[in-house]
Amino acid sequence: MDFQALWLTLQLAIATTAILLVAALPLAWWITRGHSAPRALAQAIVALPLVLPPTVLGYYLLIAMGPLTAPGRLLIRLFGHPLAFSFTGLLIGSVLYSLPFAVQPLVAGFSSVDAGYVEASAGLGAAPATTFWRVVMPLTRASLLTSAVLAFTHTVGEFGVVLMIGGNIPGATRTLSISLYDQVQDFNYAAANRTALLLLVISLVALLLIYLLPSLRKTDGRQADIVR
Amino acid sequence: MSASQSAHSPASLLSVNIRHHVGSLALDVAFELIKPWTVLFGPSGSGKTTLLRTIQGFVQPGTGRIARGNTVLFDSSSRLIVPPHLRPIRSAAQTARLFPHMTVRSNAVYGSGWTTKPQDGMATAEQIMALFRIQHLADRMPADLSGGERQRASVARAVVAAITSGSPDQRPLLLLDEPFSGLDAALRDDLLAELRAWLVQWHVPVLSVTHDVGEAFQLGAEVIKLAEGRITQQGPVESVLAEERLRLMTQLRD
Repeated sequence: MDFQALWLTLQLAIATTAILLVAALPLAWWITRGHSAPRALAQAIVALPLVLPPTVLGYYLLIAMGPLTAPGRLLIRLFGHPLAFSFTGLLIGSVLYSLPFAVQPLVAGFSSVDAGYVEASAGLGAAPATTFWRVVMPLTRASLLTSAVLAFTHTVGEFGVVLMIGGNIPGATRTLSISLYDQVQDFNYAAANRTALLLLVISLVALLLIYLLPSLRKTDGRQADIVR
Repeated sequence: MSASQSAHSPASLLSVNIRHHVGSLALDVAFELIKPWTVLFGPSGSGKTTLLRTIQGFVQPGTGRIARGNTVLFDSSSRLIVPPHLRPIRSAAQTARLFPHMTVRSNAVYGSGWTTKPQDGMATAEQIMALFRIQHLADRMPADLSGGERQRASVARAVVAAITSGSPDQRPLLLLDEPFSGLDAALRDDLLAELRAWLVQWHVPVLSVTHDVGEAFQLGAEVIKLAEGRITQQGPVESVLAEERLRLMTQLRD
């Protein structure tokens, strides 16, 4: 078992999930609150990693972070080293790659909150931020959990982006999925079996978490206050 | 025009002059709110709810001006739109819309936290819950209430928000959309009398929507009669709704 890869994968997945939750909340709320053209564009860009081959995203990130472009040279000066083939570079790639998995459950959750509650809150004098934290968020806890679990699991399982911008550096960029690929290349099927099983278990447990916690959905806005 | 108007009528609680088209409804109204409890009366589809939503700021009228005293809340000519939560107005919609994840008590106290101390808000909420006969339900969740109980809790929540905001000489205007439609007559009559006394004591003006002639009479309210988006009459209930009352009493006799 490649424990170094396991540890790196967990670090990457935790950091990615944390960043995504902070970034996805305001983004998803903004997308939910209207249908104007900039919002449609934002939604399309957010959803792009779902349809784009991961290698394409990885390629553009590699170029953007490398010394061939102005932003790349700026990043190199800022960090003191190229971001490509580093953990930071990998983290940026992971955040972008898993963005739709964090944003879309939240958009679905926010959309399911009855607009009447948002209006009721404003009609009681609550500022939009207060309404968001005290009314919208508590009613969408299940979506928040889904968002976090999917972002985490998807990061654990990413391969193409990691290979393009991370390469295969033990302790820095070699994640479990890359390790599995290596093991198969080496015809080390015993190790590959263990790695594959571990990835399978992580994914299954994460999904079970989403489906096994229906108690979190009890206070979902869709169910309550139907009777007038 | 409007500036001189408000200068000549300092007693105006709310000044509305708007035109708004939505679907088949063409709202075209101008009125001054003078009496502390005014009732909007009219058949369904006459634009009562749309008018309330416009005053709170959930609907932006095509053109016009809305002002509360010297504070302009909406003015199409200067493109001024004050967002709903910043208007000196509190409201309860026709549907209860209690926050489903909060107890009745948490709902009741929700709108009091912005300017008052939490303990003051809580004390007021307890008093108002008692007034609305829902204090025994304070720890229940909205899903466990009956329709009538929800409606009372919803109105109570708006009342708490109104009397804990602003200063004694400038409380928010309270907008109530059919606040007592789901209540039986006896309870409604008791509640109305007590609530009226409370709101007078706390200097909270009310604009409420009703279908109910009896309710308007019991309040002794000023009535604004709305038909097809236009105001057909404004004045004391005895003169504006005399015809409706007569019809109602004839029906009762038959």
